[in-house]
This record gives sequence, C-alpha cells and structure tokens, in this order.
Amino acid sequence: MRSLGELHPLSVFCYFAGVMSVCMLSLHPALIILSLLGCLTLLLLHNQVKARTLAASLGLFTVLTLLNPLFYHDGITVLFVINDRPFTLEALLYGAAAAGMILSMVGWFRLLSRALTNDRLLYLLGRLSPRLALMVSMALRFVPAFARQGQRIHQAQQGLGLYRGDNAPDALRGRIREFSILTTWALENGIVTADSMAARGYGTGRRTSYAIFRFTRVDALFMLFSLALTAVTLTAILSSALKFDYYPALTPPADTLLARAGLCAYSVLCLLPALMEGGERIRWRCLQSRI
Amino acid sequence: MIVIRSARARRILRYLIPFFIIPALIAAGVFLLHERRYALIALLMVLCALILFATGFERKRTGRRRMVLVSVLTALSVAGRFIPLLKPVAAMTILSGVYLGGEAGFLVGALSAVISNFYFGQGPWTPFQMFAWGLIGLIACYLSRPMQKSRGLLLLYGLIAGIAYSFIMDIWTVLWYNGTFNVGLYGAALLSAVPHTIAYMVSNLLFLALFAKPFGEKLGRIRLKYDI
Repeated sequence: MRSLGELHPLSVFCYFAGVMSVCMLSLHPALIILSLLGCLTLLLLHNQVKARTLAASLGLFTVLTLLNPLFYHDGITVLFVINDRPFTLEALLYGAAAAGMILSMVGWFRLLSRALTNDRLLYLLGRLSPRLALMVSMALRFVPAFARQGQRIHQAQQGLGLYRGDNAPDALRGRIREFSILTTWALENGIVTADSMAARGYGTGRRTSYAIFRFTRVDALFMLFSLALTAVTLTAILSSALKFDYYPALTPPADTLLARAGLCAYSVLCLLPALMEGGERIRWRCLQSRI
Repeated sequence: MIVIRSARARRILRYLIPFFIIPALIAAGVFLLHERRYALIALLMVLCALILFATGFERKRTGRRRMVLVSVLTALSVAGRFIPLLKPVAAMTILSGVYLGGEAGFLVGALSAVISNFYFGQGPWTPFQMFAWGLIGLIACYLSRPMQKSRGLLLLYGLIAGIAYSFIMDIWTVLWYNGTFNVGLYGAALLSAVPHTIAYMVSNLLFLALFAKPFGEKLGRIRLKYDI
C-alpha cells in the first residue's frame, strides 16, 4: 500500500473528484461528518493542522452557520424572533451542514494540492493538451525568474544612486519604472526563449515527458475501488435514498438498504487514504523495531 | 493558437458541448438532484464553457512566439499579484486582449487564475476565476479598436471589469453555500465583497492609467520587431 502522494496522478485525481462531488451534491449530516473526519485525519497524519488555521476554520464555521437562518425562515422550531422574522433551529442546522461541507471541501483541496504537486498536475494536463501544459509550466517557471530579475533591476537602480531618502512619490515612481523595465526585458526574453525552442526542434516530433509515472496494478485497483465506492454513494444520493430534509422539520431518510450501502461506501471512501497511510506507518514501526 | 491539437476532437467538442453536454447537465439538475444542490452542475458547466472556448482557438499564426508571449504575460500578472493592494491580473488581461487579440486575452486571464492559485490556494473557485478573467480578456478584444483610441473607454472598461468580476464570483459563492441561487444571499455576498470590489476597481484604474500607453508601445514594438 502506498500513500496518495505516491500513486499515479490519474487515480489520485479520480479519488478526489469522487470524494468532492459527493460532498457538493448532498447535505446529509452523516456524509458531511464523514467527509470532515476523513480530511481531518489525513491532515493530522501529515501534520498539517495548526492551532491558527483551526481557529480560523472555527470562526468561518460559526459565521457561515449563522448566515443561513438570517435569510431562511422556514422550519417549525422557532428559537427567537428578530425584526418579526423567526430564527429557526432547522435553518441554523442547514447552515451548519453547509458550513461543514465548505470546510471539508477546503480541507480536501489542501490535500489535493499536496498529493497532486505541480509536476503531477502538469503531467495530467499534458495528456489533455500538451500546448496548454507547456504554457502553464513556462509561466510557473517565469514567476520566480521575474521576481529575481526584478530584484536585480532594483539593485541596479539603487546602484545608480536612485531612491535616496524617504520620498514616497519618488519610491512609487521608481517601482513603476522598474516594472516597466522588467516588462521590456520579459518580452524580449520570451522571444529569445521561443527562438531557442524552435532551434532545438520544438513541435517537430512527439513530445516526451520528464516525469515518468507508471500506471501499476495498485493504481488501477485504487482507482477502480474509489470509482465504485463513489458510484454507490452517488446512486444513493441521486435516487433520493439519502435525501435529508431540513425544512419544515428535520426528516432523516428512511432506513433502506441503498441508504446504508451509500453511507458505508462513503465512509470507506473518505477513510481509505488515512487507513492506507496509517497502515504504512504501523508497518514501518514494526520493521524499525525488528532491526 | 491551438490548444486542442486534433481538428476532429475540436469539431466534435464544438457540437457536443452546446448541443448535448450542457442540455444533459441541465436535465440532470432538474430530474436527478432532488436535494436542489446545483453547485456541482454549475462547476461542470463552467468547465465545459472553458473547453468550448479552447476549441475556438485554431488560427495557426506563428504559434510558438505567441505562445511564449502569453506565458510571459501570465507570469507578469501573477508576479504582480504579490504586490500588496495592487491586483493587476485583470488589467494585464485587458491589455493582452486589447493588444494581442482575444485568444491571448482569454488565455492570460484563465492561466493567471490557475497559476496564482498555485500560490494562494486552489479550490472549487478556480474554474470560476478562470472563466471570469478569461471573459474579461476576451471581451476586451472585441472593444480593442475604440479602446486603443480612447483612454477614457479603457478606464471605464477596467472599472466595469472590476465590478463584473465580483458579480461572477459571488454567483459561485452563493451556489456553493446554498445549493440554489438566493437573491438575498447574493446581495449579502456582494455587500461583504465591497472592499475587494473597490480594491479591484482602483487597482484596475491605476494600472490601466499608468501602464496602458507604455505597455501598448512595448507590445507594439515587439510585434513589429518580431512579426507576431
């Protein structure tokens, strides 16, 4: 078993697409709790949870929860009345569910950007459109290059004796001049890059890729398994077996086989990477202690 | 600039997306989503729209240099996003659209969104940002003649683009949170985004006012010198 970051980009992408599309389609509280649990355990395993981000997420959660009952007044349990508008428990819980969904999506996206690093994302994009992938990778490389060149231009300007004293308008004008110099340099540099590419035969043959990702049996297994789990959950959601009504009163869906299957499938789907990684850690421990 | 290489794939996609995929998505939303959560449908539709735009890019004129220029402009606008307060992405997109054509404008806007989000955090909002900025660049191209002549019109377009960006992005905010579109929530989202909207408008104005002319000259010189 391998962790998400070591699997083939395609299976990682399929996994995240499955988890997050379920997350966006349903507000069943159990699904949202599962999704939050899954991404939180994985973030904890990666030591990605800091006190500050946790506090910020809690703040966001509170705001988003309280927002809904201010706009929706359906629901039978009135907690109190503001401006002749009822503030209902059902609307509050709906808000909490939506807030939980948004937080879990943000969490999954953080995991996604850790598992699908730039090069892996570009590999996937390159399969779809090699040109687009090349443009993105060039732009990614130009950003730090331009930052460095900007520094050089700034030093050169200082060396010329500009920017003496604390003159704010002068500093601003200087910044603008630097950006202008940088733009000229960047455009010319881009043309040189393009000509150099042409000289080396860009576009004459099949493009090869620096990154070599083999689609192994483990990747296929992981992809098929997560797609199957997603399919089961989506079937349950789209056939309204997991339709949780918030208005007018909280009505959980009937306890059918399909609903149970959907919940089980999603819990396995959400906890799958955490289990894989946890298992790997334990195995590593065992191997270490034997030495 | 060709983004999708195979001509057949382009032709098929061009008919498939508007006449089949988008109606199918709408039908799925109406008949399958009993919980009325349309965020995913909206996301897929925006992705389809982005692909549809990409199928239109096929004029094969000195592709290589144009392509590199687009990535240079994208990188410049991303680098500019690090400057505090000033957010030059929209302004750079507009200028690319005006001076290099609609494809370049669309690509600079859309790619700036993806690449700057490598630094600022990717999320489900990325396709909407790509769509909003891309559209700003594309429309700038259609107004390119009058905007090259009249500076006032360019600045006005910058102002409107700043507002339009907030309007497009908050549609997503509301859909994501609420599942369906709610006018009250949309108003609240727009209201809470007012400081950002003003920041966008001011930085667009400032950037366009300061850079439109020198930038146009630089791009014009490059185009003339290297025949792009």
